[in-house]
Amino acid sequence: MRIIAVLTMVTKPIVRRAGEERNRCVTGVEGLDNILNGGIPRGNTVLFTGSCGTGKTSISLEYLVHGAIDGENCLFISVTEASVKLLENIIPYEFFDDSLIKKGKLVFVDMPVIYNKLGLVTVEFTLEDVDTLVKAIGSIVKELDIKRLVIDSITSVCYRLKTEEKIREFILKLGKTLSELGCTTILVSEISPTAERYSLYGVEEAIADGIVLMGNLERRGDLLRTLQVVKMRGTQHSRAKYVLDLTPCGVLLVPLLKGGSVSSGGG
Amino acid sequence: MMTPTELADVLVEMPMPSAVSIGFTTESYFDAIRGVVDIFASKKNLETIYITSQMPSNSIIDVLTLLEIDMKRIHFIDCVSQVMGGAVARPDNVYFVESPTMLENIMLKVEYLMRKNKGKDSVVILDAINSLAIHNNTKILSEFFHILINSLRAKNAYTIIFSMEDFSSEELKGMMSLICENVISMSGKGEG
Ligand SMILES: Nc1ncnc2c1ncn2[C@@H]1O[C@H](COP(=O)(O)OP(=O)(O)OP(=O)(O)O)[C@@H](O)[C@H]1O
Ligand SMILES: [Mg+2]
Repeated sequence: MRIIAVLTMVTKPIVRRAGEERNRCVTGVEGLDNILNGGIPRGNTVLFTGSCGTGKTSISLEYLVHGAIDGENCLFISVTEASVKLLENIIPYEFFDDSLIKKGKLVFVDMPVIYNKLGLVTVEFTLEDVDTLVKAIGSIVKELDIKRLVIDSITSVCYRLKTEEKIREFILKLGKTLSELGCTTILVSEISPTAERYSLYGVEEAIADGIVLMGNLERRGDLLRTLQVVKMRGTQHSRAKYVLDLTPCGVLLVPLLKGGSVSSGGG
Repeated sequence: MMTPTELADVLVEMPMPSAVSIGFTTESYFDAIRGVVDIFASKKNLETIYITSQMPSNSIIDVLTLLEIDMKRIHFIDCVSQVMGGAVARPDNVYFVESPTMLENIMLKVEYLMRKNKGKDSVVILDAINSLAIHNNTKILSEFFHILINSLRAKNAYTIIFSMEDFSSEELKGMMSLICENVISMSGKGEG
């Protein structure tokens, strides 16, 4: 009797009634939220992957801006570009308001600054370095009470990890740490247009909770930007391809028409 | 023959949202424009999104200027100028789609303009289905109309599709009667 009582007590918070939905992180990109039936399941780590110029940075920034407007603390960790330059990209957004940055709702940090602070100066990180880095990111997220995080790009971090083992360790630990903090994360991943997988090392895609593939599609000589949710743990979603446009109102999405003869291009 | 006022009267009676196909012959083209863009849109106080797939937007703008129609609340989606290599001037109220084969980009521009209209009552006019049919097969075209009209219906907007009766096929007429609640023929021939 007593054992059963203890067991129910332990299992209670974990058990979800059938059909009960996980709490959603509404991305604010209307088309994407529709595809995902309401948003990214909270705490998920999602890979936004695609070849260059497909809109990965733009959609990630928009995700953060909408979060900040809704009152969530949002963090952008920039690995490749100086964050000052990134700001130029969001200013054209009609819904952007620079008080979000002044109020600290939207925070930009350059990854090289974190590396320096941690003394991570070697070209190739060790397993301990990986641990240090994950802990550092975790403590920033905890301290600032960050609910939405973007790392752009994870591929650049992986260059310093080199081996599959370390990449696996990094993404698993990071995902677990952030999920426990209730932070919903986008990891931007860069692939070549002809790549046959969703991430450079193939490890990232297997571990991530979700994959959103962004690419270009050539049809009868026209080039279209596309977006497709390949997987997303914790929700049903459309797996169809959508056509994307980057506008001052943000990312717009419409279904890709199938009627014509479609030959798939790269990415 | 229907006059512009008669056409507008029929349209005004239609519930919002509705999808309507208007068939006319070449000589009734100006009457159709006057009836829809001028009388109907002003009576209903509508923001207008005018998709041109037949003539470049500057020609339509010339027509509207000639008819002395106020263009303050009209935005154009021009699908022909870029293919023709023209469109050096880029007026504020004209949005260009690279070619009439990029149907998704037409939808995206409509979506964008509907957002900019911020829920104000709107009408989307497509001028005309015949030229889109030259560049796209029937299957993709009907898929396009289904998605476009349904999304506009969800946004409570009117969709009006111009159809040149002199150039229309039975297939196109069939498609229009399938996707539109109302099929109007200004000449009183066949389509009504
Ligand atoms: N608001 C906007 N309106 C129109 N075009 C835009 C807008 N924002 C970005 N673009 C265009 O979209 C392109 C791709 O944007 P973005 O930088 O988000 O892609 P990316 O996938 O992050 O590219 P990279 O692989 O180079 O990091 C840019 O080159 C820019 O020209
Ligand atoms: Mg980028």
